[in-house]
Amino acid sequence: MKRYIKIIGILLFVAALSAPFACKKSFLQQTDTFAATEAATFTKPQQVVALVNAIYNTYQSSDLMKKSIWYYANFLTHDWYNNGNDIVWNYYGIGADFYALPVFWDNAYIGIARANAALEVIAQTRANGILPDALANRLEGEAYFLRGMTYYYLAGTWGGVPLELKAETNGLTPRSTQDSVFMQVVADMHLAEQLLLSKTQLAATDIGRATTGAAYGFEGAAQMWLGKYDSALIAFNNPELTTNYHLLPNFVDVGEYADQNSDESLFEVQFNVYGSQSWDGGWNDGGEEAWIDDFGWPQEISGFGYDYGNPGLWYSYQGGDLRRACTIGGPGDTLTSPGIIAQWGGIKGYAVVQANYQTTPNTYSDGHGNPINSIGTATYPWYGLDGTPRSGYYDTKKWRDPTLTGANGTSAIFGGQNQILLRYAEILLDKAECEVRTGDVTGAMADLATVRNRAWGGTAPAVMQDSLTWNGQPTQPITDPLQMVLSEYRHELTAEYSLMYDLRRAGPGVASTFIQGEYGTTSSTNQIVYPYGPTADGKTHGVWMTTLPLNKDILPIPVSAIALNPNLIQNPSY
Amino acid sequence: MTHLRNLFPPAFLLLFVLSLLCCTNAVFGQSRLITGKVVANENDSTLPGTTVSVKGKKINTVSGRDGAFSLSVPPNSVLVFSSIGYVSQEIPVNNNSTFSVRLVSNQLGLQQVVVIGYGTTKRKDLTGAVSSVSADQIEKFPVTTLEQAMQGRAAGVQVTQNDASPGGNINVLIRGTGSLANNGNVPLYVIDGYPLETGGINNINPNDIATLDILKDASATAIYGIRAANGVVIITTKKGRKGGVQVTLDGYDAFQSRPKEYKILNAFQFGTLANQVAAASNGNFQSFSAWANPSALHNVDWQNGLYRPGLSQNYNMAIRGGSDKVQEATSIGYYNQKGIVQGAYFKRLTFSTNLDYQPAKWLRSSTSLKYSRQDQNVPFGSNGSNNLLALSELPPTMDSGNAATTQIYDGHGNYGFFNPIYTYVAKYSNPLFSINTNRYQNLNNFFLLSSSLEVTLYDGLRIKTNAGITYSGYNGYYFSPEDDRLVNQYGAAAGATQNASYSQSINSNFDWLWENTLSYDHTFGKHTINFVAGVTAQKNQYNSMAGSGIPPNNTIMDLAQSTAVVFTTGQNGQTISSLASEFGRLNYNYDERYFITGTLRRDGSSKFDEGHQYGVFPSGAVKWHAKNESFLKNVYWLDDLSFRGSYGLVGNSQTIAPFQYLALYAAGTGPNVAPSYGYTFGEPKTFAPGIYSTQPANPDLKWETDYQTDIGMDAAFLQGTLRLTGDWFNRRSKDFLLTIPASPQTGYSFLTENVGSMVNKGVELAIAYNHTVSSGFTWGANFTLTTVYNRLLSITSGTTQLPNFGNPLTTIPGDGWNPFSITKPGQPVGEFYGYKSLGIFQSQSQIDALNATAVAKGFAAYQKTITQPGDRYFADVNGDGTVNATDEIALGSPLPKFFTGLNLDATYGAWDFNAYFYGSYGNKIFNFAESSLESFQNRNFVGVENISVNYLNNAWTPENHSNTFARVTSNDDAIGSNVASSAYVEDGSYLKLKNLTVGYTFPGRLADRASLARLRIYVSTQNLFTITKYKGLDPEIGYQGGNATQNGVDNGTYPSSRFYTVGLNVAFK
Repeated sequence: MKRYIKIIGILLFVAALSAPFACKKSFLQQTDTFAATEAATFTKPQQVVALVNAIYNTYQSSDLMKKSIWYYANFLTHDWYNNGNDIVWNYYGIGADFYALPVFWDNAYIGIARANAALEVIAQTRANGILPDALANRLEGEAYFLRGMTYYYLAGTWGGVPLELKAETNGLTPRSTQDSVFMQVVADMHLAEQLLLSKTQLAATDIGRATTGAAYGFEGAAQMWLGKYDSALIAFNNPELTTNYHLLPNFVDVGEYADQNSDESLFEVQFNVYGSQSWDGGWNDGGEEAWIDDFGWPQEISGFGYDYGNPGLWYSYQGGDLRRACTIGGPGDTLTSPGIIAQWGGIKGYAVVQANYQTTPNTYSDGHGNPINSIGTATYPWYGLDGTPRSGYYDTKKWRDPTLTGANGTSAIFGGQNQILLRYAEILLDKAECEVRTGDVTGAMADLATVRNRAWGGTAPAVMQDSLTWNGQPTQPITDPLQMVLSEYRHELTAEYSLMYDLRRAGPGVASTFIQGEYGTTSSTNQIVYPYGPTADGKTHGVWMTTLPLNKDILPIPVSAIALNPNLIQNPSY
Repeated sequence: MTHLRNLFPPAFLLLFVLSLLCCTNAVFGQSRLITGKVVANENDSTLPGTTVSVKGKKINTVSGRDGAFSLSVPPNSVLVFSSIGYVSQEIPVNNNSTFSVRLVSNQLGLQQVVVIGYGTTKRKDLTGAVSSVSADQIEKFPVTTLEQAMQGRAAGVQVTQNDASPGGNINVLIRGTGSLANNGNVPLYVIDGYPLETGGINNINPNDIATLDILKDASATAIYGIRAANGVVIITTKKGRKGGVQVTLDGYDAFQSRPKEYKILNAFQFGTLANQVAAASNGNFQSFSAWANPSALHNVDWQNGLYRPGLSQNYNMAIRGGSDKVQEATSIGYYNQKGIVQGAYFKRLTFSTNLDYQPAKWLRSSTSLKYSRQDQNVPFGSNGSNNLLALSELPPTMDSGNAATTQIYDGHGNYGFFNPIYTYVAKYSNPLFSINTNRYQNLNNFFLLSSSLEVTLYDGLRIKTNAGITYSGYNGYYFSPEDDRLVNQYGAAAGATQNASYSQSINSNFDWLWENTLSYDHTFGKHTINFVAGVTAQKNQYNSMAGSGIPPNNTIMDLAQSTAVVFTTGQNGQTISSLASEFGRLNYNYDERYFITGTLRRDGSSKFDEGHQYGVFPSGAVKWHAKNESFLKNVYWLDDLSFRGSYGLVGNSQTIAPFQYLALYAAGTGPNVAPSYGYTFGEPKTFAPGIYSTQPANPDLKWETDYQTDIGMDAAFLQGTLRLTGDWFNRRSKDFLLTIPASPQTGYSFLTENVGSMVNKGVELAIAYNHTVSSGFTWGANFTLTTVYNRLLSITSGTTQLPNFGNPLTTIPGDGWNPFSITKPGQPVGEFYGYKSLGIFQSQSQIDALNATAVAKGFAAYQKTITQPGDRYFADVNGDGTVNATDEIALGSPLPKFFTGLNLDATYGAWDFNAYFYGSYGNKIFNFAESSLESFQNRNFVGVENISVNYLNNAWTPENHSNTFARVTSNDDAIGSNVASSAYVEDGSYLKLKNLTVGYTFPGRLADRASLARLRIYVSTQNLFTITKYKGLDPEIGYQGGNATQNGVDNGTYPSSRFYTVGLNVAFK
């Protein structure tokens, strides 16, 4: 019996011994249930379309749009200031370890990597017959456009940056020169111009995608960075632009919620509301599906007030310029946005005003017992409720979304309003600068007049002259053609996404000199007691007048990027 | 069964025994027959064959199978008990007639059985570097995890408690840091033969452990191949003994004192400071109107309100016994710790059964079953990355907050809150409100079952099949009720009502193992061979599901009021990994003088691409047992001497998740579910889905390889009472696997790569001394010392240095404090990194002079354009004229030059004594807590926070020109004084008395009266004192988040405090 059991034991063991060998090969082949391989993913055209959609997606980031591009375009000009954690912008104190820098840098390269990967997948799926040629062309054009546009903002912000043009990279590419990057932008836009659809050909379901016109617009701007004003004019004068894009008749409609994707817009980042507009909505889910314009509204209305204006910008608008009220509002100013007025009747309609105008009259009543309908009053400017300094002036260009209430009322904080990166008025101003540069002052004046006439609702004054200096002094007419263009950039485009880029593009030192001319800046890094106007009460209210230092018109390469790519050389003065 | 009625609760039992003690007044005669029983101290198993002799006489006997003995002795005799592998013991007879003798194992005794992979050997035959810890040592003082049991007892093993939270994480490093990956340095734990792939070892009750054998060099670990690079800890749990049944009861209650507290400002000091800072801020900061009169403020002591005395209770009951054929050991344990922070607790129920059955001499089966259920809550987080520091930083007043109370809690349902309008405090919340009103659950279940069948085919030739499963499951939820208190009082200006929220997650990890081995042991003449070979397969499957959302009715205050939570986000997943391996080991020795061991393992892992799945891990070792040479045999003062040497390769693949080698794409989620990766197009706007690349392909990915060299020696003196083991090791880790922050230019945040090489080399020394003094007095000392020299040798991914990965230290702001460590070639891993502080700027002229130079060189300023006297002065290390990121330098290493443990044991009659010291020398600590308490600003945010009294009293002012503390400001982010710098790097060396225990074992006759084989009571204290220069609360600081690049940062983690323990060990007859 023992022997019998022993034999069984041996047989069992041998069987057991062999089992792991027998299943070994397949035993080590496991299937990933989370994600799919390239071959398994791109089997239908819509999957390649989805891959390209993900490139656009990188711009649906409020950190990239607001804290990166918008902050650079506006805070460096001193037209606008930050309230909150990022006040280092206000005196050019950004260091290489500033936390928002990698948001910009990293997001930009994620978009570029997605574009590079998409170009390879498009080529592969086109070759495999999965993607029809027409669609493949459009998608390729979109990938080139988005890559080029991203390099445009990278080089505009940092100067030369590394050029990553292939999906496979170790990420150790050194910086190219600024010119090389803008040459790459031109190259990408050239390809995009050939591959994209005209806005007239774009299906209604594809509105928001890159178009031929947008490619010409960015190509022209890139040519200007390269000093190739003739080439820029060729791009700007392409019929695709001159025929299919127009200024909206009324400046107030620029940036209106009801005028998204208008005839004036070349390219705007699309947003929409999906679900809640409060903290538990799109913001909570990555901040990709909602926008945050009300963060810049007065804290008295929104509960935020994270950015605010320089009174000097308000004073600079020439008499009769309708753009002022649609751009910056101060004590006693009402809102002119048709959308806001239609929805709320103006400021007086917001719940926080209705709820508090009797109990807190200094803040929320008009001084006569009625709900306030202005951005504070001359007696009680809206400096904010929390004691941190604000000027009492706010961005009315970004106070357009009637669905928002701020952190009051329904707590509709996040909206779905698109953000315009490039519009036709800027093309006209760009053209004017090119014409100045190439000696065609007459042409330049004509293009300026087109923009200015709209700003005056008909005919602009023949003489260009600011109303007052920042400290309430009389001004002189602006007669130098280039200075005229720069002044128009400021009054037309401030609080959007391009002003500082356009000023820096004009040449070394131009921006610093221009800002100093407008604001009388000094080396002081402290906020000043404002000398003029309703807020001149002998106290500080968050206005700095620091001269833009040498080399600080571009930002430092983030330390996190240098740490992971030692081939990157930091910008001077950082 | 009659004995079971004695299973009283410990307190009653103790009273019972003490009453027996009090009423006993025996009278004893002159000459007689004595009887007794000898058992092993570590597991109460009987010790047959123990020689019992009368000192100085030729009177002796040998204990029987059940350990019992009887002997006729003359008056005034002294009995000598000696047994192989145990420390001899002398006991005077006096008037006693029965003896219950416990012999202590000689830990490093040559006959000690050491468990190695897939077999055992005797220490005298061991060729590799193996440290052992016995149950006897573990039971010296109360521990709740086996990591604590290892601390300081095994040379080469560095054990650091990351924080003192209940059930908190403990870091174990065997021979240094070989990997930079998160949890990449965790040893392989093998429980009763099962290599653990899931579930932490804190599921194992230390009371169930018979031995811990720690395999350190490649010769010892190579049998575990691709999982062995960080060493292997083999845990053998207690088994039943032959010849009887023994029931034991062990329990203790430990009272934990309140922790040390940071000395911070009270409301008056804080309000006064806020007003002063506001006055000097040029309008940048405006103090709160409610603080205008600081003397009227109501003080809130957050530390006092949230800290409390702790209490730990630990009870274990075991029944162990058996016959010749069947041995069984069953135990049940319960541990309950109420933490020293409100809401913190850890509860663990453990169950263990071992069953051994030998129906015939040639057939044997063993089954091990372990179950554990854990319930844990640590409100402020654990694992070294909690934010308890934030408690001390909360403003010490909530005036003008809740109208109902200005205090943390008024006892009537009202919790204070901060004013929601004043921005500088609006973000803060009352943590006790959250702790008491939120609902949460964190349950873990762990199950291990393994069973083996072994057949002896022929003398020495055995086959064995072993199969088992482990399962660990987590089930947790978190519910936060709606909070409308602020809105109700302050209206819309306070923001929106905080919605109720709910999240739930479950995950499970199932693992199975099947392995078959063939072994052969034979001695022929002077030749002895031992051979084992086998095949093994192991598969692990992890599943998880999680969801979060809000209850449909947002007005509910309690989860019980809603049965239909709407989940707005969710995630799930599954990963499977498998391992198929073959292995073999051959030991040969000649005449017990010359030993040689060869080991080979071939592992196949599913984590790698085809062509890279299989790795071969060979090792070899030699040993010369010099004492057995003829020229040393008669050297009387030398009881043992041997020399060892080994070299081998082992691997590490535990650090990466499966499928890291594949290029993968994923579809984004819907429009309002992150991450969407889609976009909005069209009129009307319509969401269009997106697809994105989650990772690029890396088909060359492979395991980490460790090349380990070990040279060691073992020696014994003084009849074996003094033993010395020394090892020199050199561990070179190559191709370490890392999911590394990628250059942003790649478009990926992280990439998994084989990125470099690292070396750890050092010396381990273990000295054990046991001495039996006459009159029943024995004492011993066990000393370990380890040095580890760690350097990164290269990074192969192209970058030159690696910052700390991520920033899980939740209170460390990114601005100016990240990175805080840099690892680069030639330097130790996780070396601190930042600016070199030169003190404090004392005058404007000093700043102006430096600025002038900076401007001349094209910079705006030397440091900042806003720098003022009183700001911290940093060194321009590279001499370019300005201080910027390129001036950051290495500031010191968190790695100690050496760490050491010293155990002192003594028994005197019925009394026993243990003192255990643990120390670390030469390590630095980055005192982020100090930095935080030197910042009036809530850095990286708008807000003010509390500071230390020391800082307030010593900060730079125009009147007090401190060169150590910067001026107090409301905007440290902008000024930049309070960034990672040498100002916060301190010497972290310490020597801590971890334990002090005094025990009393009642004499046999008293135990007899209670039908007890043993009754011991003890009192113990832990963390009684620490000798250190470190200025923080506790210098014992380990990894944060299991990450070697975030080591030694004092983030004000869950504090440790003293335990005062009363315990009882009872063994029933």
